[in-house]
Amino acid sequence: MSQPDVGGEAPIQLFMRMNPPWRFIDEIRRFVESFCACASLDPDREAQVALAVHELMQNAVPQARGEAIELHLEVDARADRVLIRIVNRCPEEEFLALRDRIDAMRREDALAHYLTVMKEQPSSVRGGLGLARVHFEAQLDIRVRRPSADRVIVEAEGPLRAPRLTTTGGHHG
Amino acid sequence: MASSTFAPRIPALQVAEEKYSAQLVPDANGIRVVIRGTISTVNPAVVLNPFVDAVHAHAIETGAKEVRVDLTSLEFCNSSGFKSFIHWIERIQLAPAAKRYQLRFVSTNERRWQRASLLALSCYGVNIVVVEGA
Repeated sequence: MSQPDVGGEAPIQLFMRMNPPWRFIDEIRRFVESFCACASLDPDREAQVALAVHELMQNAVPQARGEAIELHLEVDARADRVLIRIVNRCPEEEFLALRDRIDAMRREDALAHYLTVMKEQPSSVRGGLGLARVHFEAQLDIRVRRPSADRVIVEAEGPLRAPRLTTTGGHHG
Repeated sequence: MASSTFAPRIPALQVAEEKYSAQLVPDANGIRVVIRGTISTVNPAVVLNPFVDAVHAHAIETGAKEVRVDLTSLEFCNSSGFKSFIHWIERIQLAPAAKRYQLRFVSTNERRWQRASLLALSCYGVNIVVVEGA
């Protein structure tokens, strides 16, 4: 199968800075999906990237304490890569907790980790599932770093065409 | 055509927030739940978990073997809303074996996220979750 025609060699980029983003998060997800369609990602990948942006921004909102959140999105055909970068304020203890969760996630198979988190996270309490969902469902690698003392960068990255998901569980009729 | 005349008696169950709703609807073939809209609020479990509990109680009471959950009009569900499906599976797993029933999720290709989400749910709820494409 050929690579998507994404309009030449230069990466296609989107940058948004939002404050406050919560009430616009559905619109941002829809826009990202349309943006990815224009960048000629396949429909499954469009939806995966949109889901990842939604979940990562949703995680960023409480960390940012009302301050702006930045979204960078890059579709790079030459590097066969789609990259989501979320930048926001984040207190140190929340950064450390986030880093620990991502480290734990990277040590395990994506589905196994997702199922573990489903089991461990109380279903009545909000949060805790989004990163594992992005890692498995959107098939993106996630990493986190500190660009300064009070800010965090979360990046999710993967190929332009994700491999088809397969599992052995359940029935699909 | 489905008619409420032949459907089992069902309680009036419906919840809604600004952007989504969940409703137990009459269906001649058994219990059917329809979820519509976009689940993206901060903590939808506050609304959805009591609804799930009520439908679960109805399914147990009536000895249902299956509950159909129609997601074909569900545009999106965030991970917080997704937890309500996990909650549902866990309620079924905790029920006595003879009372357990299957959750048949009816999905649509038009909402591409549904396939991966339901695939994961089917792994979590092995022998409970059935996924049906619309």
